[in-house]
Amino acid sequence: MKPSSPNQPDFSFRHADTLSKAVGAERYSTDFTPPGCLWAGAKRAGVPHARITAVHVGEALAVDGVKTVLTGADVPGSNLQGIVHKDQPVLAVDTVRHAGDAVALVLAESREALAEALSRIRLEYEPLPGVFEPELALAAEAPLVHPGREGGNLLARGLVDKGDARAAMRGCDVVVEGEFETPMQEHVFLEPPNGTARLTATNGLETVVSTQAPFRDRFEIAHALGLDPMRIRVRAPYLGGGFGGKDGATVQCLLALAALHAGGRWVKMVWSREETFLAGYKRHAARVRIRLGASSSGALQALDSVMYFDSGPYAHLGVEIMALGLEHAGGPYMIPHTRAEGFCVYTNNPVGGAFRGFGVVQASFALERSLDALAARLGMDPAELRLMNALRTGEANCAGVAMESPTGVRECLEAVMAHPVWAGRHTWKEAAPPFKRRGVGIAASCNAMGYGRGLPDAAAAKLELTRTGTFRIFNSVADMGQGNAAAFVQLAASALNQDSSLFEVVQPDTRLCPPAGSSSASRTTYTFGNALLRACEAMREKLKARAALALLVDEPSRLRLAPGVVADEATGRSIPLALLGNMLQRDDRICVDQYVMPVVENPPDTGKAFRLGFPHRFFSHGACVCALEADELTGQVELVECVTAVECGRVLSARGVEQQVHGAAAQGAGLVLMENLAHQDGRILAGDLSTYLIPTSRDLPDLEWLAVDGDEPTGPHGVKGMGEVGIHGPAPAVAQALEDAVGLSINRIPVDPMDVLRALRSNKA
Amino acid sequence: MSRNARCPGSLDELWPLLEEGVTIMAGGTDLLVRRRGQVPAPVACLERIESLRGVRVHEGFISLGACETHASLLRHALVRERLPVLAGALQVLGSPLIRNMGTIGGNIVSASPAGDTLAPLYALDAQLELVSKWGARRVPLAGFIHGPGRTGLKPGEVLAAVLVPPPEPSALQHFEKVGRRKALAIAVVSLAAVILTDGEGVVLDARLALGSVGPTVARCPKAEALLAGRRLDREALLAVGEAMRSEIAPIDDLRASAAYRREVAGNLLLRLAS
Ligand SMILES: Cc1cc2nc3c(=O)[nH]c(=O)nc-3n(C[C@H](O)[C@H](O)[C@H](O)COP(=O)(O)OP(=O)(O)OC[C@H]3O[C@@H](n4cnc5c(N)ncnc54)[C@H](O)[C@@H]3O)c2cc1C
Repeated sequence: MKPSSPNQPDFSFRHADTLSKAVGAERYSTDFTPPGCLWAGAKRAGVPHARITAVHVGEALAVDGVKTVLTGADVPGSNLQGIVHKDQPVLAVDTVRHAGDAVALVLAESREALAEALSRIRLEYEPLPGVFEPELALAAEAPLVHPGREGGNLLARGLVDKGDARAAMRGCDVVVEGEFETPMQEHVFLEPPNGTARLTATNGLETVVSTQAPFRDRFEIAHALGLDPMRIRVRAPYLGGGFGGKDGATVQCLLALAALHAGGRWVKMVWSREETFLAGYKRHAARVRIRLGASSSGALQALDSVMYFDSGPYAHLGVEIMALGLEHAGGPYMIPHTRAEGFCVYTNNPVGGAFRGFGVVQASFALERSLDALAARLGMDPAELRLMNALRTGEANCAGVAMESPTGVRECLEAVMAHPVWAGRHTWKEAAPPFKRRGVGIAASCNAMGYGRGLPDAAAAKLELTRTGTFRIFNSVADMGQGNAAAFVQLAASALNQDSSLFEVVQPDTRLCPPAGSSSASRTTYTFGNALLRACEAMREKLKARAALALLVDEPSRLRLAPGVVADEATGRSIPLALLGNMLQRDDRICVDQYVMPVVENPPDTGKAFRLGFPHRFFSHGACVCALEADELTGQVELVECVTAVECGRVLSARGVEQQVHGAAAQGAGLVLMENLAHQDGRILAGDLSTYLIPTSRDLPDLEWLAVDGDEPTGPHGVKGMGEVGIHGPAPAVAQALEDAVGLSINRIPVDPMDVLRALRSNKA
Repeated sequence: MSRNARCPGSLDELWPLLEEGVTIMAGGTDLLVRRRGQVPAPVACLERIESLRGVRVHEGFISLGACETHASLLRHALVRERLPVLAGALQVLGSPLIRNMGTIGGNIVSASPAGDTLAPLYALDAQLELVSKWGARRVPLAGFIHGPGRTGLKPGEVLAAVLVPPPEPSALQHFEKVGRRKALAIAVVSLAAVILTDGEGVVLDARLALGSVGPTVARCPKAEALLAGRRLDREALLAVGEAMRSEIAPIDDLRASAAYRREVAGNLLLRLAS
């Protein structure tokens, strides 16, 4: 099966949710506002580090319509949230550790009363010195974010190595060295964190939340508040975006706490955009130091890198993100000797968390920039340097894992190199209009799929034949807009040889759906898809067996599923699915099956600090070419072309892949061109959408994509996940293009137009 | 309709509302943002007052009704053909949604140093027609704006129209906005230039205005004088740019440093180099 040409939309398949979303009929979590619900909201710390000496709630309680005001003392259970490491209070007790910490929780009859009460809570603090820079936070005399904690501000240190990088470096003909910084990044999903919760008559907790991890949320809530996870029901309707920012508790624990005090009434909580900036998770800011050595022919020999990740005051997934960063330190390249050391550090900055590209963005920018420096030193073409070192199937990556799954990085590079934007770059550059300098850059990337070894990447899928002969897929993995629900319909429809209109999707609901991991890690379609295909297989066998009874056929195996029927080609007779549905009792109409992603069988002897989720077995690959124009008078940089090739196994839906590449490339472009939280001493200065700029449609070119044929034998229909890989290209490709255009070598992003002007000035001199 | 939103059908119906202290609202794109989170207070919407609209030639001026939206002005041939420096600014103001709602009057009375129509209107030597129950007065735009958000609008007064003396048809009109992105971004620097040359390309008259480089839009008299009598060549424009840099007082903010603004303010005119 060859993918359809990427530039011709495949109308063969439509997302079931396209129409409902376009006409506003789809009900997101935020649309669920039960009549008479209470409103909950958090009072945020406002200061990055302080001892709480008093929380005055009297005036807030006096506001008409205020039901109650809770503080840290009212939190039952551990009062600690966290996915792996539990260190984030639901409500701060005696210390605030970043400006977005929740200090009090108000329940009110209306949003107006809630806002009024929040403004009347007075917090008294004794300011504490803060730490805002990971390397300074590791100094012996640095203020402690969690005093008394063994290890101080060092949340985790990790080492991933292969061979002897330092010795090999000494034998290299050329060595380049550099320090690179990537910033915090805001997800800017459209739908803010929000949800609704209530206690049920039987003392269970029921919630509807905009979340990427409904099944895991139960445990996080239960741990934080001392509840029974099995008595918590989480429903996750379609999300209005997530990108990692809704992987882990946002409103969940606060809402559950509020529900415990609401006497069975529904409570709703919706963060404003500003609160989301203040309290939400960010892509970790990182600093990476690299030494990269090669032979004079350009063959990479050794990589030695150190990475610092700014975790903010809580772990969230910081350690796992650093682990993935270290595992991608060597990118999609063959480097015999590698060493990547990482430090994940507590600070009083905003909390770092999951974000599309999970540690890989940071590692990839540093490595790709170092390759550029190496190419310059060797006088080599940057594309050729990448191509000659591209990791082949069977070779070991920088974590020492041999690539079993076919790697497509070479093919991706070749595809973008053959594209006119790269192939015709010299002519294009020469045709630059007055006052414009043109440049073109290229980069390659890979991105692991799944949780990795030690943390089972599992999903169970439930499929029901309804009484009327249609099918119902119980989706266990939230669809945050990436289209997995639609992909599941497509997979099931083709597996059962039915029209996709016969399928309905139930969105994740821990009471109705069997468990699955989160919507993250480029794993969703692969893992749940495989589980679903198995459930389809079971359904097919069952339907044939039941149909055989009605058709009086001795060997069910000779029956076939055809649209709407089970058919016996030998006799030309068939039985409609509606008849079968009506004939079977409900238990018999349901098939459940599961899948666990295979892991690396003989893991290399490295990365010992990472017991959960290391190493990875499957990777998607990408290459990206960016062409830009820098303005000589303003230093402004315009991205004129951005072409991304991805290899993600087989392409199930060309349009689905295209949309992921578009979104990812746009986020990557924003990261390099303009996104800047401008945080200073723990405070975000660009904390709303008028100051934190993300690209508009006018700031982006067409974001073309090229499909590279691949096949992952274990994937559903050969698929590998690809939700993340497209984000890695623009930052390094733009940086290289800028160097090509104006001779500016940037090692931190976003690009500052002033630096572009300076470079132009010094070039002229 | 909410009790708080009043919609007078004429100026005569507006005056009593202003006496009550009701705030004027045109498109609301500035006012409502500033009022966010506050207790709703009454507004007097101007949209039904016919006399605040219209684009026409009047007493030698091109008169732009204060309640014309950015989008409606852009559709008007007089604006596009006779005032391209203004059209250039309108085209990059906000986004299509903002251009559909926001008005030129609101842009002026908001008095933001980054207001996109202001630099062109300064360069065009625009005047304002202010009316009140007691009559009308005409003031130069430059004298009307005192500082960020501060104007000479008196209580009971409304801005009725912007009067623009149309430049010679042969005059060069040029506008450029430098922002951190291409839409929905406040100008970091903007330049409006209206330059009249003789048949040989020698500048007879230059009017240069810079936005976002001080508390109000800045005209650059020294630079204008320097340009007069010269051609628009690189050498002249470099010198004039340097003079422009000396005539402004930019500040650092999140969007850009003062140094960047100053540098770019002096560069932008080079775009005209022949
Ligand atoms: C998302 C967004 C993006 C924006 N982008 C830009 C941009 O790129 N460039 C830019 O310049 N501006 C921008 N703005 C600001 C604003 O949209 C413009 O300044 C617009 O022109 C204001 O016009 P308005 O009719 O909406 O004013 P309103 O909000 O109705 O009024 C603004 C002020 O002027 C007063 N007022 C209005 N009309 C009159 C009148 N006729 N007489 C007396 N007083 C009056 C009001 O009382 C109020 O104080 C943006 C705003 C938003 C929300």
